[in-house]
Amino acid sequence: MKKTVLVTGAAGGIGRAICRRLGGEGWVLVPTDLSPELAGVVGELEEEGVAAHPVEANLATDEALADLAAQLADLPPLELIVNNAGITRDARLVNLKEEDVAAVLDVNLGAPFRLIAHFAPRMETGSIVNIASRAYLGNFGQFNYSMSKGGLVGMTRAYALALAPRIRVNAIAPGLISTEMSMAIPQDVREKMVAAIPLGRMGDAAEVADLVAYLAGPGYITGEVIVIGGGRSLSR
Amino acid sequence: MRVVGVDGDYPVEQPGLVFGATEIGNDWSSARTVLLEAFRLTQQTVLAGEPVVYVVSNDDLLGRNGPGSAAVAAGLLSAARTAGIELAKTPVSINVLAIDDGVTIEQVKHWVLALLAGQGPQGNLMHLGPSHLGKTLS
Repeated sequence: MKKTVLVTGAAGGIGRAICRRLGGEGWVLVPTDLSPELAGVVGELEEEGVAAHPVEANLATDEALADLAAQLADLPPLELIVNNAGITRDARLVNLKEEDVAAVLDVNLGAPFRLIAHFAPRMETGSIVNIASRAYLGNFGQFNYSMSKGGLVGMTRAYALALAPRIRVNAIAPGLISTEMSMAIPQDVREKMVAAIPLGRMGDAAEVADLVAYLAGPGYITGEVIVIGGGRSLSR
Repeated sequence: MRVVGVDGDYPVEQPGLVFGATEIGNDWSSARTVLLEAFRLTQQTVLAGEPVVYVVSNDDLLGRNGPGSAAVAAGLLSAARTAGIELAKTPVSINVLAIDDGVTIEQVKHWVLALLAGQGPQGNLMHLGPSHLGKTLS
């Protein structure tokens, strides 16, 4: 039987890879993003033979969530949510502006918080995967981002308990992944970052998508956060 | 000393921030309000060159009291870790004390004052009580 997956932040590098992977497995895709680049992603998917039902919306509002629920009503049952949308507004704590803390919290933590609260009661069974970040362990210049991703990890644990045994809830914490965002880092800085990764390279978005696909399937894992960072959590 | 959300008789003349977040509502608005207040007070305190201790609940870190309180507790821990990295070469410390239900106000005060004294811990999580044993690492 067909089943539906909702992927937020689908226009970004990791979001695209997740859509491609899950679409290839036969999931009915509902990719969402604020970015108009979403249309291009959907076009790429269609060229690969994967149909999608895109939603270009800011899911931080009650109206948008209600609209999304109405669109999902015509599709097979929702059995997977991938909370992937995220932004950065980096600065050292002493220089950080409150509006940049609020913006990062609202997108990275508030949106998935409200999305799960809205849709989990409508899911009979399935899985939720929250894309956190290795920065939840701490990362220079990212007080607000760390706070948001740590909050997402905590929220993952709470929903895992609250929604068991019906729905499994897990988090993935990627390290340095090769996407447009990471390639925007100055080359010399990026090379130093890679040099500190024991596996000696950036991760690939497809490798994150593989992990999402694994957690989407039936399994015995819930309430966990899995770091995919090439060993960076161990090195100096 | 500025003390928010923590009971006890703290020495006001001592520098630092004690920010307690052990009773949080489980709606996003409540969690957001607490996290933003934590940011504001932490930034002010660090700019003044004073130490910070967050006090959270062990149960909240494990997600046992709902998503709002879990998001706040774990969010503060991650924020403290990042601030600890940024402050690593300064004498200013920031740490997290996670407490079990049933610990006394005096026990909390003892360990808060020890962490504020700044004798090495930086960006650390200290558990007060045994409920974290055998459970997931936060």
